[in-house]
Amino acid sequence: MVIRKKYSFPGYIYIMPWLIGFLVLQLVPLVRSFWYSFTDFQLLGDPKFVGLDNYRKIFSGDLSFLKSLQVTAAYVLIAVPCKIAFALAIAVILNQKIKGINLFRTLYYIPSILGGSVSIAVLWKYLFMNQGVLNNLLTSIGLPGADWLGDPNLALGTVSLVTIWQFGSSMLLFLAGLKQIPESLYEAARIDGAGKMRIFWKITLPQLSSIVLFNLIMQMINAFQDFTPAFVITQGGPLKSTYLYGLMLYDHGFKFFRMGYASALSWILFAIILFFTGLTFKSSDSWVHYGDSL
Amino acid sequence: MKKNLMLFLIVLVTMGTMFAGGGKESSKDSGSKTLRVSWWGSDSRHTPTLNAMAAYQRENPNVRLEGEYGGWDGYYQKLVTQIAGRTAADIIQIDQPWLNELSARGDVFVVLDRTMIDLDEFDVDFLNDYCTYNGKLLGLPTGINVNTFLVDVTLLADNGIDPDTVWTWENIITEGRKIHQNDPAAYFSSASPDIMRYWFEIYIAQLAGAVVNSNKQVAFTEEQGTQAFAYFKQWFDEGIVAPFSQTSLFYQKFHENPSWINGKTATAWDWVSSMDKAIGNKKNIETRQLPVMEGAKNTGVLMRPSQIMVVNNSSVHKDEAIKVLDYLFTNHEAIEILGTARGIPATVSGRRILAEKNQITALAEKATNDGIAQAGLPQSSWQMNSEVIQTMQDVIDEFGFGRLTPQQASAKMIANLTATLTNL
Repeated sequence: MVIRKKYSFPGYIYIMPWLIGFLVLQLVPLVRSFWYSFTDFQLLGDPKFVGLDNYRKIFSGDLSFLKSLQVTAAYVLIAVPCKIAFALAIAVILNQKIKGINLFRTLYYIPSILGGSVSIAVLWKYLFMNQGVLNNLLTSIGLPGADWLGDPNLALGTVSLVTIWQFGSSMLLFLAGLKQIPESLYEAARIDGAGKMRIFWKITLPQLSSIVLFNLIMQMINAFQDFTPAFVITQGGPLKSTYLYGLMLYDHGFKFFRMGYASALSWILFAIILFFTGLTFKSSDSWVHYGDSL
Repeated sequence: MKKNLMLFLIVLVTMGTMFAGGGKESSKDSGSKTLRVSWWGSDSRHTPTLNAMAAYQRENPNVRLEGEYGGWDGYYQKLVTQIAGRTAADIIQIDQPWLNELSARGDVFVVLDRTMIDLDEFDVDFLNDYCTYNGKLLGLPTGINVNTFLVDVTLLADNGIDPDTVWTWENIITEGRKIHQNDPAAYFSSASPDIMRYWFEIYIAQLAGAVVNSNKQVAFTEEQGTQAFAYFKQWFDEGIVAPFSQTSLFYQKFHENPSWINGKTATAWDWVSSMDKAIGNKKNIETRQLPVMEGAKNTGVLMRPSQIMVVNNSSVHKDEAIKVLDYLFTNHEAIEILGTARGIPATVSGRRILAEKNQITALAEKATNDGIAQAGLPQSSWQMNSEVIQTMQDVIDEFGFGRLTPQQASAKMIANLTATLTNL
């Protein structure tokens, strides 16, 4: 007991920077935003308690709420599975024993370092705009271009590509997982005459299922909160086809200065994320295999 | 040993804090004042402003002026957050519509009067119309800003259009269509969705006086709205403007559209204060007056301050901040240094000094004079409200993408504006 006390003090000192950061920059704003969600807080002036008014207004016909919810749902459905599938495919390729593979692993990770930045979003805009690089390439080989970011039917898919492109961190996790799969399983399968696809579906994927679950949850949470690509590239347009929830929240908070309303929106987003995270966890009982449960 | 190390660190931190406090104290003792000045702009504004601040510091060695400057994007959001957190700069450059929006939420800015600044330098109506809130003067206009119509005279002439044409709503269509007919990739006007909103506001102002009046009501009828939208439908149908699918990416940045940069667009609506940015390296650009229909109730052409300079009410150096403002607006040297960094000065002596020094370009002078001659009534603060603007923009977007007929657009605009105004 004495020993524990002796060593716990420096421990507290070591975690103090994080603890102070957590309390001041996360917990206090969290509690305050919960309080503000029941007020008419407009950033300037004192907030006035309005009870459930903000929540009532959101659910009783705020068209921008419904629209952004639809857009965000579509965005999550496009971006998350594509990103995970892409990360897994690249990880399987980069798991081969070939010369210089480390260089390729580094190169494929670079988008994740750059991906979330404003400069990349700007670059994306110039790649995909009407007279952008992609259309110039397409027309130079005789193919018709498209309004990748100007057509309401295409814009969300194009913006989602920015997210999908940042598959590096998910890929690394898959790569680490692939290294952990015992070679004996593959040998046994090959002796039994299993083909490559059968091996992938029956051995590789089940062995990686816990990593799939982790990536799925993390990427889903990130996707629900995404903001930068839509803000920088399309500002939510055209016709609000890329009006992500984060963007709507920002508009209410920092464009119209309805902080109370924006706080309520952020708590609703929290509830949505919590619900889908719980649902994913619940469903994982039937598809995630841990350790020797094969 | 560990205990000693911990003690040492604690003593070190405490000493650091004490010295930091001492440093602050000694700066107070010597009577020096540090004031922060914030503005947005580009290098053409940053450099002269920093130079003028340096000149002030040479004359007032006890004052240190710190500039906080950057681009336009996010400036307002940052400013409001700073005001709420009481960390905003002492002297702040704001856009004119923000004066009412921010002042409505409290005593954010210092009230100015004649004992502080020589107000005879300014046009009284200009101060009353644009710089006051509830009868209190809260800021000073940096310059006079008006709407203008930029035309590429070469592109017009190349398409058989007289570059000296006096533009009307009708001949914009009859003449303007020639450009798209001659080159399917070229258009008469550069109009991103936000610029289309400005055109709509001008048209409705001429037809009905305003979009939203000062009584917080929609000022146009459904018929008038339909007429306006039917007119602008011709702009899309005749290729006067590019489809929104090509321009929506350049919201609030029409000058970044390759079509405009590469000389495929002949004209553009703009503010005089930002036309240099829009013109860039383009040659053969001149300014013309905007179209006004016969019997217009209001030209809809806007004249307002380029920006407004205000003093933060939370500043601990309000008197000094006002002195700095006075210097920037009335001091001969400062006026020369600042030049036209914020448009043509709003002060009498500012205009005189720059004219004597030939610092006002012929293009800016003509555009400003043309705009002043055409200027209509100021927009109501309700029409300039961010949510009202967004409401208008949403309907304009739907209309521009062909999702609404003129009649539907008009009805929806009125219904949505009414709902928004009720909530404000």
